[in-house]
Amino acid sequence: MSVTVSVTSVIQSAVNGQRQFTAEGGTVAELIEHVDHDYPGFAARIMDERGELLRFVNIYLNDEDVRYLKGKETPLSDGDVVSFLPALAGGA
Amino acid sequence: MTRIPRAVVDEMVAHAREGLPNEVCGMVHAKDGAATEVFRVTNTAASPYRYEMHPLEMMRLESRRDETGETLFAIYHSHVASQAKPSPTDVRNAFFPPGEVSQPPMFPGTFYILVSLAEEPPVVRAWRVHSAADVDAAIAALEEEPIEVV
Repeated sequence: MSVTVSVTSVIQSAVNGQRQFTAEGGTVAELIEHVDHDYPGFAARIMDERGELLRFVNIYLNDEDVRYLKGKETPLSDGDVVSFLPALAGGA
Repeated sequence: MTRIPRAVVDEMVAHAREGLPNEVCGMVHAKDGAATEVFRVTNTAASPYRYEMHPLEMMRLESRRDETGETLFAIYHSHVASQAKPSPTDVRNAFFPPGEVSQPPMFPGTFYILVSLAEEPPVVRAWRVHSAADVDAAIAALEEEPIEVV
């Protein structure tokens, strides 16, 4: 599947400063693997050493958070947009 | 000293009041370095004690800045019962990954504006976050930028 990958702010530095690019993958996990192949270090930016998604990184498939779909196993379709977005949070 | 239009300050305060009992958050854009417009962002945490900016809304604002040439002047949020100063949690989360304060801040050059509803009238203060050796040092290194409302 060919999908559009969108990244912002601090995650951009892991993909040569690109905001958007095209990549392949049948699932979110496969997509991450392919992007990490093209941009070594990308996976380490968004996952821990056990391969779990970092809680302060959000991955959206189109307009939905993949945590509420099937996580890394969420299937992708041609033309999907997958966004990797750092969390911005805080509190009193 | 940074100059912020009265309308921008009023909008942040209005947002903070309307969001009670929860904290609110958003971004202030600038044109040619001057603060111009407030964009409210959904606080997905919906909590009086913390905020999490809606990631997709943040991304759309980032795209807008790319298209218009605007810049990110400030990230703002409210404290409903504490002072208008970044909390230790705020400082940790200004870095990526959170707490990696030896790295540059996630949004270098951007003010962190706090709107406190702990007193009346509300207090609005702007801060710069700096890298440091550890979290305590980063908290000590918080630098307030006086605001001139114009």
